Amino acid sequence: MFDPQAFIDEQVGAIKAGVEGKAIIAASGGVDSATAAALASRALGSRLLAVYVDTGLMRKGETADVDATLKELRVNHKILHAADEFFRALKGVMDPEKKRTIIGNKFIELFEREASAFGAEYLVQGTIAPDWIESGGQLRDRIKTHHNVGGLPEQMKLKLVEPLRDLYKDEVRKVARVLGIRVAERQPFPGPALAVRVLGEVTPERVALAREASAIVEEELEAAAKKGLMPLPWQYFAVLLPVQSVGVHGDQRVYGHTIAVRAIDSVDGMSGKYSKVPDEVLDRISVRITNEVKGINRVVYDVSNKPPATIEWE
Amino acid sequence: MRVYVVDNGGQWTHREWRVLRDLDAETKIVPNDTPTSQLKELDGLVLSGGAPSVGLNPELMGKNGEYLDALDIPILGICAGHQFMAKHFGGDAAPAKIPEFGKSVVTVHEPDVLFKGLPKSFEVWESHNDEVSVLPKRFVTLASSPNCSVQAMRSLDRPLFGLQFHPEVEDTQHGYDIFRNFLKVCETNRTR
Repeated sequence: MFDPQAFIDEQVGAIKAGVEGKAIIAASGGVDSATAAALASRALGSRLLAVYVDTGLMRKGETADVDATLKELRVNHKILHAADEFFRALKGVMDPEKKRTIIGNKFIELFEREASAFGAEYLVQGTIAPDWIESGGQLRDRIKTHHNVGGLPEQMKLKLVEPLRDLYKDEVRKVARVLGIRVAERQPFPGPALAVRVLGEVTPERVALAREASAIVEEELEAAAKKGLMPLPWQYFAVLLPVQSVGVHGDQRVYGHTIAVRAIDSVDGMSGKYSKVPDEVLDRISVRITNEVKGINRVVYDVSNKPPATIEWE
Repeated sequence: MRVYVVDNGGQWTHREWRVLRDLDAETKIVPNDTPTSQLKELDGLVLSGGAPSVGLNPELMGKNGEYLDALDIPILGICAGHQFMAKHFGGDAAPAKIPEFGKSVVTVHEPDVLFKGLPKSFEVWESHNDEVSVLPKRFVTLASSPNCSVQAMRSLDRPLFGLQFHPEVEDTQHGYDIFRNFLKVCETNRTR
């Protein structure tokens, strides 16, 4: 059976032995990168710098929250504000794989810049098993490019350190609990962030719609789980669809956007069943989104399992 | 117990490794062109699923055939590994009339050591375009689903098993039990 304490000792030892000089870690504030940061920080202390990039594609309040998490972990860290750069690179891009590759490349460009300023030769990442499995290679088909795998250039200057490579999320959570990491139970959030939850072109306006709607989905499902109406799903969020439809608002015709609500139960993200959300909860989500998020006049619920679908829409 | 996983490029190959590791087997993922001589000391072998179609790209299945012929140990073929096993022993695999993705239910017809202690019907997770269309001689079908008649098979002569569904996936019911049963077969075979 998987032993988190033994894993921690082994990985801290391996990082100590393997990393000479300084390293930076790509931190998103999620459980994977926070866990990798805690392991690397134990091994390297002040020789480690955590870099968080605010891509402009983050959820509501996320940057402040990540800042707090990294402070709590007492990891030396830095926040980069790069929203303009990301939106510029994504302008006019519709294809989901192109979006993922552009974002992955941008991340590496920024990390290389920061590493060189800090004098680091190593890049620590919280890559976990599904990231490299789904990114494909050799015999394995590519399902989607995970930013921390598929965005890497062929000739990378930085040496990669990936202590969580063979773990799945449920195992990472076990390690995070032993390390006392607050975000141990946080739901997964993809590296390309809201860019893969805005189907079609990624603009600041469209990202704002997905962001507001997602905040409502999160609030309502967390409240429902707290009240005991349902178990908290593995992952739950809103997707802005590239579909408009007719509605009526205050006796006037509107032609608005559509939000798909996605909630799925899984143990490791490699397979899953859509969550059986009680009707009254879906109803509240729908009423709130269509009333509070200007421009949305229709809400649908995604009833697909993985496979055949994937968890995220892109 | 030393049981390796032959990687045929499946999305869930690493899950097979994980389940075996969770059950305290000594395990490793090996490429499917690993020389047979390096697998001589094993107690069992799992042939993973994969993106390649067994019928269309047999060359991508590497040395799976050699392993089946040369290794006298229990072997469990999953999805593409199962289809390959059928074809290799004179049966056939072909595109399924109705491919299955995600949730399905299998019913066990033939009691077998692999399904020992399990209910007759249970929910499983699928992900296949092809299926076993002709059962090889001296093999029996152990289980079926509504859209696929050979969900599980075994050889009457050797401890060779094939599963179309994916016991390594969390959403499959009794998946760990099936692996536990397979490990028992490996143990029995070792002390034979």
